Amino acid sequence: MSNAVELRGIRKTYDHFVAVDQLSINIRQGSVYGLLGPNGAGKTSSIRMMIGITMPDAGEVWLFGEKFHRQQLHRVGYLPEERGLYKRMKVIDHLVFLGRLHNLSEHEARERSLVWCERLQLSEWTQKKVEELSKGMQQKIQFIAALLHDPDLIIMDEPFAGLDPANAVMLKDVLIELKKSGKTILFSTHRMDQVERLCDAICLVDHGRAVLEGDLVKIKASYGKNHVQMQYEGDPQLEGCDLVESFNNYGNYVEVRLKPGADAQQLLRLASDRARISRFELVEPSLEEIFIDQVGKNA
Amino acid sequence: MHNVWTLMQREYLERVRSRSFVIFTLLMPAFMAGSVLIPAKLAEMNSGGVRHLVLVVNNPQIATAVMQELGPSKPQASTSPDEEALGPTTYVVQVDTTPTEAERDLLRQQVSDGKITGFLWLTDDALAKHSVTYSTKEAADFGQSVELRNAVRTAITKQHLTAKGMSGPEVESLLTPIDLKTVRIEKGREGASGTAVFVTAIGMVMLLYVVVMIYGVSVMRSVIEEKSTRILEVLLSSVTSKELLAGKILGVGAVGLTQILIWVTCAVLFSVPGLIASKSFLGEVHIPIAGMVAFAIFFLLGYLLYSSMYAAIGSMVTTDQEAQQMQWPAMIPIILAVFMMNPVLQHPNSPLSFWLSMVPFFAPILMLVRVLIEQPPLWQLALCVVIMLGTIYGLLALSSRIYRVGILMYGKRPTLAELRRWLRYAG
Repeated sequence: MSNAVELRGIRKTYDHFVAVDQLSINIRQGSVYGLLGPNGAGKTSSIRMMIGITMPDAGEVWLFGEKFHRQQLHRVGYLPEERGLYKRMKVIDHLVFLGRLHNLSEHEARERSLVWCERLQLSEWTQKKVEELSKGMQQKIQFIAALLHDPDLIIMDEPFAGLDPANAVMLKDVLIELKKSGKTILFSTHRMDQVERLCDAICLVDHGRAVLEGDLVKIKASYGKNHVQMQYEGDPQLEGCDLVESFNNYGNYVEVRLKPGADAQQLLRLASDRARISRFELVEPSLEEIFIDQVGKNA
Repeated sequence: MHNVWTLMQREYLERVRSRSFVIFTLLMPAFMAGSVLIPAKLAEMNSGGVRHLVLVVNNPQIATAVMQELGPSKPQASTSPDEEALGPTTYVVQVDTTPTEAERDLLRQQVSDGKITGFLWLTDDALAKHSVTYSTKEAADFGQSVELRNAVRTAITKQHLTAKGMSGPEVESLLTPIDLKTVRIEKGREGASGTAVFVTAIGMVMLLYVVVMIYGVSVMRSVIEEKSTRILEVLLSSVTSKELLAGKILGVGAVGLTQILIWVTCAVLFSVPGLIASKSFLGEVHIPIAGMVAFAIFFLLGYLLYSSMYAAIGSMVTTDQEAQQMQWPAMIPIILAVFMMNPVLQHPNSPLSFWLSMVPFFAPILMLVRVLIEQPPLWQLALCVVIMLGTIYGLLALSSRIYRVGILMYGKRPTLAELRRWLRYAG
């Protein structure tokens, strides 16, 4: 299957600051892709070049197997991190306006908006002004606006930021359904735990460069199951233990990274001597740990 | 084009539907009419009335002569229709033949107590020096002092002429003022009176100034609003910054034209002959069709020129307060143009007027003045429009480059050096 997005060595500098440097990624059609990294890593800059808001200084952007041209944007839905709406417009007028900018007819845009509002439980708000809506509701409106023209590629920058859990689940369900119908979804976020379970492939970005790119399953497998998650009461006294490379302690829950070649069973025996262990699981590392590991290596 | 149309439509409909548009559209003509009618009405209320005057003289004959000039028996021919509309003042005159310093102090006291309006020091001494003093609390009343001066002058002249042996009727006919009427020649025919042209020109030019400023600032505020609500990036995922800028400027401009159209329609309706048949001040406002066409053209050109500057300014700042400080590059030229209106009004076809009206930033105001006062040669109009279009094109090219970068920048205002870099960015 062809790629929905291909970035070929793109680079962007602002004055003397290099925002994106030699970034190359391939996003398979129909996959969920995570563009991950801390704030200021160059995620938003990359996305802006992907959809023609800015032009790369070097490199090329290909969408749907063709070199970027603006007609392709009608197949792309974008929910930017910096998002907003005209405060004084009516919700339905606003959605119709944004839909028309994506080449929908007024009628079509209206019909689809009403269907989506129904689905996201906003039906009774369509005639209200945007400023009367809560922040979460406004975010759902923006979500609808990004999907109104039934795009093949959906780009969401920090989609769950500021949403309450119920709404976050609602949006996640919509996105999973879209994925099932063959859409390509690109997430960009610094909250890696939020998208870890959704992504098929990821790219970790730091200081404008790709630190790690590829299939999430493969990446995780390459690290092997050398991490332990442990729930406990008491004090397992992990400091100075020669089986442990590093650990992250939450008080009665700890994530441990084992030293190469260390035996997990030995750690379990050791810990259960000192504390009551209610859960002990050998796992692959979380994305966050992989990221910290990678960034540490490059530093 | 489709996107520009959609953007423009939104900009237009959201504005025209808003309450502030309706209010402004209704209030502006009321304000304009008010600013002409209210001062006239106030002057009328002021001028009609009774003034207590004391004439301090050595020679009672002088007093009698002056009283005659001030009294109701003065010749009606000397009053112009304007003054008549304002209503004549009635004078109650007392004669005082003791021109001493003590008397002067006494009269001063009476003026400050409000017992008399004022007193005229008409002693032989003062008359010989051709310097007469009128003491009053209402020293700022220019009309009144002109009236008194005329009365004294006429009275003295009459006395002198009579003393030289002229008969009363001879003196009267000699002193009848000559009425000078200015008539504007349009295409070889006599058009409206000079005053009418003048009043209309000032009114229309001020209106142009107001609407160009208001709509220019609207564009700026709308850019700032889009920045502060952070909707720009959503829009930029389907349209280009150029389309966005074009849609905004055209949309807001269309609102301005709509408003002007409403006002012009109202003006035409109200100035239907017969509705204002009276010789009131408003009757003097004469709106020539050519002038209205010129008004619309220069509104459009001026608006395009200034709004492109305002759009760039709006994109450079993040808040309204910052915008206040950054507005001067757009405000100074148009304010200068208004200051330079006077010489152009007086000599619309002088070389100075020609050159000033060819400066694109002044042209909307000054060329409109010239068109309204005295039709300039067609080639000059054409040249002016071409210069303006060229400037607008250049400014839009610059502004759109600043705008393109500026709308995605938040926080610190750019320095001049940064601005230069913005202009060079690839995209």
